[in-house]
Amino acid sequence: MQKIIKRKANKQVQIIKAFILDALSWAYIALVSYKIIYEKIIIDVRYPEFAWKQPIYSLYFGIAVSIIFFFTNFSLGKGLFGLIKIDENDSATSKPFAFLGYLLIALTFLTGFYVSQVSIKEFFSANGLEGAKRIFTALIHPNWGIFEQGLFAAIETIYMAFIATAIAIPIAFILGFFAARNLMSGNKFAFFCYSALRAVLNISRSIEPLVWAIIFSVWVGIGPFSGMLALCLHSIASLTKQYSEQIESINDGPVEAITATGAHPIQVVWFGVVPQIVLPYLSYTIYRWDINVRMATVIGLVGGGGIGNLLMQYQGQARWSEVGLLVILIAAIVWTMDWASSVIREALK
Amino acid sequence: MLEIKNLEKVYPNGHHALKDISFSVPKGEFLVVIGLSGSGKSTMLRCINRLHDPTGGEILFNGVDSTKLKGSSLRKMRSEIGMIFQHFNLIPRKTVMANVLSGNLSRTGVLKSILGIYDPEVVERAKKYIDIVGLKGKEKNRADNLSGGQQQRVSIARALMQNPKILLADEPVASLDPATSHSVMQYLKKVNEELGVTVICNLHFLSLVRQYAHRVVALKHGKLIYDGRPLEISEEWFKTIYGEDAVEVTIN
Repeated sequence: MQKIIKRKANKQVQIIKAFILDALSWAYIALVSYKIIYEKIIIDVRYPEFAWKQPIYSLYFGIAVSIIFFFTNFSLGKGLFGLIKIDENDSATSKPFAFLGYLLIALTFLTGFYVSQVSIKEFFSANGLEGAKRIFTALIHPNWGIFEQGLFAAIETIYMAFIATAIAIPIAFILGFFAARNLMSGNKFAFFCYSALRAVLNISRSIEPLVWAIIFSVWVGIGPFSGMLALCLHSIASLTKQYSEQIESINDGPVEAITATGAHPIQVVWFGVVPQIVLPYLSYTIYRWDINVRMATVIGLVGGGGIGNLLMQYQGQARWSEVGLLVILIAAIVWTMDWASSVIREALK
Repeated sequence: MLEIKNLEKVYPNGHHALKDISFSVPKGEFLVVIGLSGSGKSTMLRCINRLHDPTGGEILFNGVDSTKLKGSSLRKMRSEIGMIFQHFNLIPRKTVMANVLSGNLSRTGVLKSILGIYDPEVVERAKKYIDIVGLKGKEKNRADNLSGGQQQRVSIARALMQNPKILLADEPVASLDPATSHSVMQYLKKVNEELGVTVICNLHFLSLVRQYAHRVVALKHGKLIYDGRPLEISEEWFKTIYGEDAVEVTIN
């Protein structure tokens, strides 16, 4: 009885979801058609006005249209949420509701081209080609005079990335256990810790290291330290997530067996969990160092020190030969790290 | 030695796995539990050492109700009950020796065990049990490189390290070939007869049951439906336990 009620409630939720999806799709179609196709492409308004009434009217329009179409097979939402029966032999892509999907994709393409201002004319303009040629000529004639300066900056970058990874490892190692659902779902307090930690990690991971570097360069001053802190924070968040996912995917058998011997919970983790995760951990960590070296280069651009900082300086002075040398150095580092990390990770398997 | 009274287990998802199960196991008995997959055999075994928590009833282990134990007294109780599993559940990438020593964790301090410090006396005992299960000379081999039968023998040695009063065996031969199955069962018999350890074993093959069990209990849909001698299981009982369409398969 309960199951039937549940299934019914479930179906109602699906219908509501389907309707919302339909309404939003139609509203999107209306808004994009008006703003891009009508205003920009057809009548070419130079400074189109934006008013909140436009999306709101579109939404009304979307709701109205989807009420009409909701009872037909043109409802995309009903199709996606499985409320329209599809024969196994029949493919879903040829059903009427799929056409709404195609329309959405086509409109999005058109808008995308328009918004990114794709212009063949600009790409092949004589002036532009001349400038590109100038830079490329300088780039392929790098100034080897600053090789030592560049090399020292590159070494700074590599060490910065290394220390950021090294500091992140033990912290992420410990946090990884607390962020693993299978270890933390025992009681309510543990689950609360798990959820809180997950939320903090997700937030700090969703803020780009570039932004962290800007924050830290104000905090501790411009230089490698701020870049290192930014990388470190990002590494902790990413490694903790990867570590905990690894813990979640372990085989429960050894954990059960060690528990059954009467071992202490810490021993259960050490003997039942750790041996199963050591290799993937190493592999993730080396890959993270690899990523950090590449990121450290970019972070240098915003004052995080290292080779990125140097690149920024020469680029600002439009000294393209020097930039050319730095680009070669960066490419060499990235290539070497890429190769080394894949060799090590392959050997660990 | 072990007395189970009105044991109940309802999983959080509502599945009623064990319904009012009562029986007792005297010291030194080789008890075999039979029943179809999903009949509650594994759940019952895991309730005995509290890998699963029963939702009702009592389990008296040496006169103490083990269903109420917590923390260190729960671990003490577990340390007196050895367990072996269908998939051996050895620690991957570790040697046979390290795996057998892990049976002694409950008597080793947390820090000492993490640092890998074991008393020479404990190592000697581990060697003795490795010898008993016929794996002498394989101490330094990685346990996950051994064959299935050998891995199961490692797990028997690990359980023996606990000096168990009871050995629980959850389908110990279900993932082994017939010849190896008999060898593993022989070792369980040896443990039972020579070391006097009470054995409770889940099995699928009736031919093995008849050969090794002193006594048999059968579960069906979470209920205890048979309790008796292995040779008394008639064709009729067989159909009741395994269903009308069941055909007995033997392994020799």
